[in-house]
Amino acid sequence: MKITKILALVLAALMCLTSFAGCGEVNYAENNTEYVIGLSGPLTGDAAMYGTAVANAAQMAVDEINAAGGLNGIKFKLVATDDMHDATKVSTNYSSMYEGGMQVSLGTVTTAPGEEFKNLSADDNVFFLTPSASGDDIPEFANGYQMCFADGNQGKVAAEFVSKNFKGQTIGVFYKADENYSKGIYKQFKENLDSSVTVVETTFTDANATDFSTQIDTLKACKFIFMPIYYTPASLFMMQAKDIIAADATYYGCDGFDGIDNIDGFDITTIPQAVTMLSHFNSKATEGAAKEFIDKYVAKFGAGTLNQFGASAYDCVYAIYGAMKKAIDEGTEIPVSISASDLCEILKDQFNGGYTLEVGVTGENIKWESTGYVNKGAIQYVIKDAN
Amino acid sequence: MELFLSTLINGLSLGGIYAMIALGYTMVYGIAKMLNFAHGDVIMVGGYLIYVFMATKSPLLAIIFAVVGCVILGMTIEKVAYKPLRGASPLAVLITAIGVSYLLQSLAQIIFGSANKMVLVYEFGSIDLLGVPVQVSALVTLAVTVVVMVVLTLFIKYTRLGRAMIAVSEDKGAAQLMGINVNGIITVTFAIGSALAALAGLFYLLKAPSISSTLGAMPGIKAFTAAVIGGIGSIPGAMLGGILLGMVECISYKITAIAPYTDAIEFSILIIILLVRPTGFLGKKRREKV
Repeated sequence: MKITKILALVLAALMCLTSFAGCGEVNYAENNTEYVIGLSGPLTGDAAMYGTAVANAAQMAVDEINAAGGLNGIKFKLVATDDMHDATKVSTNYSSMYEGGMQVSLGTVTTAPGEEFKNLSADDNVFFLTPSASGDDIPEFANGYQMCFADGNQGKVAAEFVSKNFKGQTIGVFYKADENYSKGIYKQFKENLDSSVTVVETTFTDANATDFSTQIDTLKACKFIFMPIYYTPASLFMMQAKDIIAADATYYGCDGFDGIDNIDGFDITTIPQAVTMLSHFNSKATEGAAKEFIDKYVAKFGAGTLNQFGASAYDCVYAIYGAMKKAIDEGTEIPVSISASDLCEILKDQFNGGYTLEVGVTGENIKWESTGYVNKGAIQYVIKDAN
Repeated sequence: MELFLSTLINGLSLGGIYAMIALGYTMVYGIAKMLNFAHGDVIMVGGYLIYVFMATKSPLLAIIFAVVGCVILGMTIEKVAYKPLRGASPLAVLITAIGVSYLLQSLAQIIFGSANKMVLVYEFGSIDLLGVPVQVSALVTLAVTVVVMVVLTLFIKYTRLGRAMIAVSEDKGAAQLMGINVNGIITVTFAIGSALAALAGLFYLLKAPSISSTLGAMPGIKAFTAAVIGGIGSIPGAMLGGILLGMVECISYKITAIAPYTDAIEFSILIIILLVRPTGFLGKKRREKV
C-alpha cells in the first residue's frame, strides 16, 4: 500500500517536471548559423499555384539578400513546408520549423491554415508577416501582420468601387456561404455599399460543387457580378455562364481570382465577359518595381505561377529584412542565434513604430497598423476585357 | 413565368441526375439488402474514364468506354469486397462500402492529383425556350434520364432477367428454390447501377466540364437521400425522390434568405421522412416482427 503511494507521488512529481519543461524558455535557434525564416503553404494540391508562387518568390528574395552580403554578413535561410491548404497539417509543420530553429515566419499562404498558425505562433511569440492569408482575424494576436489586404478591407474597397460606378443600378453577387474568406468580404461589402445599389445574391456551399446552373439563372440579368470566391468555382461559373450572362457583363473578384488566367484546361479568352479583380499587384506592369520583379521571376520560374501571392511574399521577405536592418542601425543587436521570441519583440517595435517599406512590388510606402493590417493602395486589375 | 420555367428545367435536370444515381442505390438495396456507399464514387470514376478516353477525340467512344469501365468496376467491387461478406452483419458490409469509397477516392487522387481536371465532352450551348435561355445540356440530361427510366422499368417488368430481379428482391430464398441464380442477379444489379452511375458522371461533366476525386461524394449522399425519400428498394420511388430533391435544391437556391442552408434543408427532409414515414413515399410497408 505504502509503496504504491510513494510510486504515485514520484510519478506525479515526474509529470509535473515534464510539464515544466514546456514552460522553460528554450531557444531552438541557439545553434543557427543563418537567420531562419519559416513558411507553411500549399506546395501541392488545389491551391498549389499560390503556395508555389510564395515559396519561389520568397526564395528569390532570400537569394538576392544573401548575394548582396546578407544582413551584416549573416545570411538568411528559407524553410518552406507543405500544408496542402489543410489546417490539420499546420501543427506538424509549425513544430518541425520552430524546433528546427525558425526565428521569424511568413506564416501561411492561405487563411484556413493561418487560423491554426496564428495560435501556435502566438503561444511561442514568433513574429509572422503573411503574404496572403487575408482573414480578418489572422493578425488577431500581437505577433501577426499581413502584407495582403484583409478580407474586410477588400470588401470595403470593392463596395466603394461599386457605389461609385453603379449608383441606382442592380448588381449580382455570387459568394460561398460557408467560407470565412467569402463571407467576410461580402459582409463588409454589404455594410459599405451605397444604399441606392440593389444586390441580387446567390450562393453555394459544397466545396466540390461544379454545377452552378441555378446560380447563373439567378444572376442572368446582371451586368456586374461581384464574386468574392476562389478561382476554381469562379472559372466553372464563367464557363457555364458564357452564353447566358450578357456578353458585356463584368465579373469582379478579389485576391481569390488571382491565377484564374493560368488554370490548366480553362482558357479565359473563351469567356466573352470582362474579368477584373481587386489587387495590390499588376502582373502586366510595364514599369517600376513590379516590372523588375516580373522579369526576374519569369526568367527563373516561368510565367505559370506568376501572381500577386509571389509578389507579396517577395515584399514580405524584404520587409522583414528591412525592419531587422533598421533595428540594427538604431543600435539593437540581433545575433544569428537570437530566439524567435526576442526577435519578435524587436520586429513588433519596428512594425508598430512606423517602419515603412518604401518601394515594394505590391505598393509604395507600405506601413502597418498596430492591429497587424497593412496600409497601402489598391489597384483595379483588368484580367481581360469583354470580347 | 420565366423564373418558374428556368427553375423547373434546372430542377428537373438536376433531379434527373439524382434519380439516376438513386436508382443504383435503390436497386442494390432492394436486391442485395445493402447500402453501397461506394456508389457515388463510381460516378467519379466514370468522369475520369471519360476524361482519359476523350484522348480518342470522340465523345461517343469516351462515353461507351466509361460505361463499360464502370460496369466492370462495379462487378469487380461486388465480387472482391461484398460477395465474401454475404451473410455477414449489415454493419460489416456498410463499413466495407465506406472503405471502398475511400479507396476509390484516394486512388483517383494518386493517379490524377487533387487539382480539378477540365474536360469538355461536348458543347451544346444554349437555346431560347419561350424567351428563357436554357442550357441544351440540361434538356439532353432530362431526355436521356426519361428514356433510361422507361427502358429500365420495361426491362424489369417484361424480361426474364428483370422479373428474376424482382423475385430476388422479394424473397431471396424462394427465388433460389425456383432456380434463379441469386449471385448472378446481384452481379447484374451492380452492373446496371454502375452503368447508370457512369451516365450520371457524364451528365455532371456536361453541366460543368470539371472533375476532381471528390466529385461523387456529395451527389452520392444526395442521391442516397433521394432513394430514402422515395422509399429505398422502390424503383419509381428513386425517380420520384430524385426529382423531388432536385427541385427542392433549385428552389431553395432561388430564395435568398434560405439559399445558404440548401444542403441542410435537403437533409432535414431526409430526417423528417425517416421520422414520419420511414419507408419513404413509395416504399413497401413491412411489419417488423419483434
